[in-house]
Amino acid sequence: MPVSRRTLLGSLGTVTATSLAGCIGGGGGGDAAARIGMVYATGGLGDGSFNDQAQTGVVRAEEELGIAYDESQPETASEFGTLQQQYAQSSDPNYDLVCCIGFLQADALTENANQYGDQQFMIVDSVVDASNVGSYVFAEHEGSFLVGLMAGRLTTTSFSAGAGSTAGDSTNVGFVGGVESDLIKKFEAGFTAGVKYASDDVDVQTAYVGDFNNPSGGQEAAISMYDSGSDIVYHAAGNTGTGVFQAAQEAGKFAIGVDRDQSVTKSSYSDVILASMVKRVDNAVYSAVESVVDDEFEGGATTALGLEQNGVEAVFGQELGEDIPQDVKDEMSTAREDIIAGDISVPTDPNQVS
Amino acid sequence: MSGADSDREWVATVRQRLIALGQTSAGERVLIALSALALSVLVGTVIVFVAGLVATCRDPVLTLGGTTLCYDPFYVFDRLFLGALGDPFAGGWSPLNPQFALTLRETTVLIFTGLSVALAFRAGIFNIGTQGQLIVGGLLSALTVLWAAPLVSGGLGALLLVPLGIAAGAVGGGAYGAIPGALKAYAEANEVITTIMLNFVAVLVARYLVTGPFNDPNSQANQTPPLPEIGQFPSVVFDPRTDFSIFALLLALAFVGGLYYLLTQTAFGYDLRTAGIQPAAAEYGGVDAARTIVASLTLSGAIGGVGGAVYVMMILGKFQTGVPSYGFDGITVSILAGNNPLGVVFAGALFGVLKSGSTVVAFATNVPPQLVGVLRGLIILFVAMPEFFRLVGRRLAAREDDAGPAPVGGGADD
Repeated sequence: MPVSRRTLLGSLGTVTATSLAGCIGGGGGGDAAARIGMVYATGGLGDGSFNDQAQTGVVRAEEELGIAYDESQPETASEFGTLQQQYAQSSDPNYDLVCCIGFLQADALTENANQYGDQQFMIVDSVVDASNVGSYVFAEHEGSFLVGLMAGRLTTTSFSAGAGSTAGDSTNVGFVGGVESDLIKKFEAGFTAGVKYASDDVDVQTAYVGDFNNPSGGQEAAISMYDSGSDIVYHAAGNTGTGVFQAAQEAGKFAIGVDRDQSVTKSSYSDVILASMVKRVDNAVYSAVESVVDDEFEGGATTALGLEQNGVEAVFGQELGEDIPQDVKDEMSTAREDIIAGDISVPTDPNQVS
Repeated sequence: MSGADSDREWVATVRQRLIALGQTSAGERVLIALSALALSVLVGTVIVFVAGLVATCRDPVLTLGGTTLCYDPFYVFDRLFLGALGDPFAGGWSPLNPQFALTLRETTVLIFTGLSVALAFRAGIFNIGTQGQLIVGGLLSALTVLWAAPLVSGGLGALLLVPLGIAAGAVGGGAYGAIPGALKAYAEANEVITTIMLNFVAVLVARYLVTGPFNDPNSQANQTPPLPEIGQFPSVVFDPRTDFSIFALLLALAFVGGLYYLLTQTAFGYDLRTAGIQPAAAEYGGVDAARTIVASLTLSGAIGGVGGAVYVMMILGKFQTGVPSYGFDGITVSILAGNNPLGVVFAGALFGVLKSGSTVVAFATNVPPQLVGVLRGLIILFVAMPEFFRLVGRRLAAREDDAGPAPVGGGADD
């Protein structure tokens, strides 16, 4: 028998809180336009990357659309299903939408979407085929192509800015991935394709740390890349990427951030972050919430967000952005137009990069 | 009186206290544990209160003038304990509620890992490798079930597949435990080092296997294909959505009974315990030390491996990288239980409550998971410390009996 958890929680909470001081915080849930449940990925809030970006979206929805939200940070993959169920089962308050952040939640959601047919869900980074789930996927390869192009150009010229510099005769750059998976390979494929587009002579060194939350592993991987001649390393590794930034500072070289403008979220490294491949997870969350508020939620639909929809973009670092030569920036904008127009086709699999 | 004298006196007092603690009765120990629990909640309340004052949040539970309190400490502990049981005082409570099922689910796996560590401890071996043994057991169990599933069908399949998976888990974990056992017995390699290192080996090899040869082509995650329904623990009594099967808990309890019997009633158990308390004396008494070491680590690994099989066949329904740290928690469960198989049930239950309660706290409050982790650690530390000192006291007492002044009148020749 599914027990209405929030009812119990609500009544008990009132008792405890009143006995504490008789002054209960409002919570603001009663007259909200919609109630949203957030189940984050295992990296947790404070990663300065993926989860924080998702939270930005729901915070914006709270301010602009007047919704209320609750959030949960699972510690392991086996908790995804439990937390999704807790939101789905709750009837006081009733959640209008449960946002599942990250592709690891897909299996649990496939099961729960069936079990809780009346509950609306959305998932980021994966496609769940159910009539009550809205799926949002990104064209990470397109954005990665642009930063790859930039890296390829800068590594072959003598460029220095902030705390880093490139050796003009360098012919390699690096890529550090979190867990090896099709998703992260899209970043790698786009980046490599961009580098090769800039110059066929530049090679990309690749390493997968195997974890999204292992900064020291990221640091080791990046150090060995810088030692063997890379001057720019791009990471798609969540919090593991923090180690890449540390390594860049120690080596006096550059790094490229991911998911958010990391020269802002990790501002102590802004003197080595050339740019970030921003993935607008916040837009995905916001637009899903907006569609629920407007009663236009489309279950079963898959929304693909690429350069054209501003779902992904290359954002220059707040400190180093001005120093990047204008011709490189121009070339990146041209490439962006070409990708949108279909004149450049960016591969999603590293093996397809010619 | 000189400084050295008073120092020695102080040491002697501590010794006596520890030895006295080592001789506390079961009833006294329960009392000590309950007081420690109460004390840890008290300290935790203060921490949550202070953290709530320092933190900034959207909707504080209490506003007094300019200061806001973000977290209600009473409510946090209410959720942590009562929430984990599914609110027994709220009316309409049924032991089959989903939250209680989650508590039992975590408890079940922790009983296995706790038993695994406890058994090795009793043989005087510090098995830090239960996590690795659990991973190897779980992986082998998943692969075996996937391999055998097409060969069987229907109701008969369910009767065969689950036991087969459990057996595979035991074989995998046992073989993986035998490695450090053999290294210790025949090469004198310290088992603490080897078991820790083998944990990394297990994680990395498992990751290689599930990203490569045994990867699920339909998923982006690093995992094996899902096990068929008949290859998973059947849900009876509890809601199938809770991923908990009463059979797994019964299996865990059977292991508890079996291990208790093994340790107290069999010759092998006697050898194992004497080897743990006094290796030299045991060898003198005719115990084959090398054989006992290998056997106990193999058995310890096998129990951990069954824990992995239960995790795979009951909770996850596949093997996936990123296995929770059940094996490491098993070390604490075992210490908490005083390395006694029967105690493991209660220690495992406390851990299960804390794990399941954490998800309720995460859902019902905006307390960050890190703070909940602090509270959990605090409770475990407080409850485990008296037990830890008691074990130290017993060691001291044993040594005192050993090296103490010989009784007058040639008792040594008995």
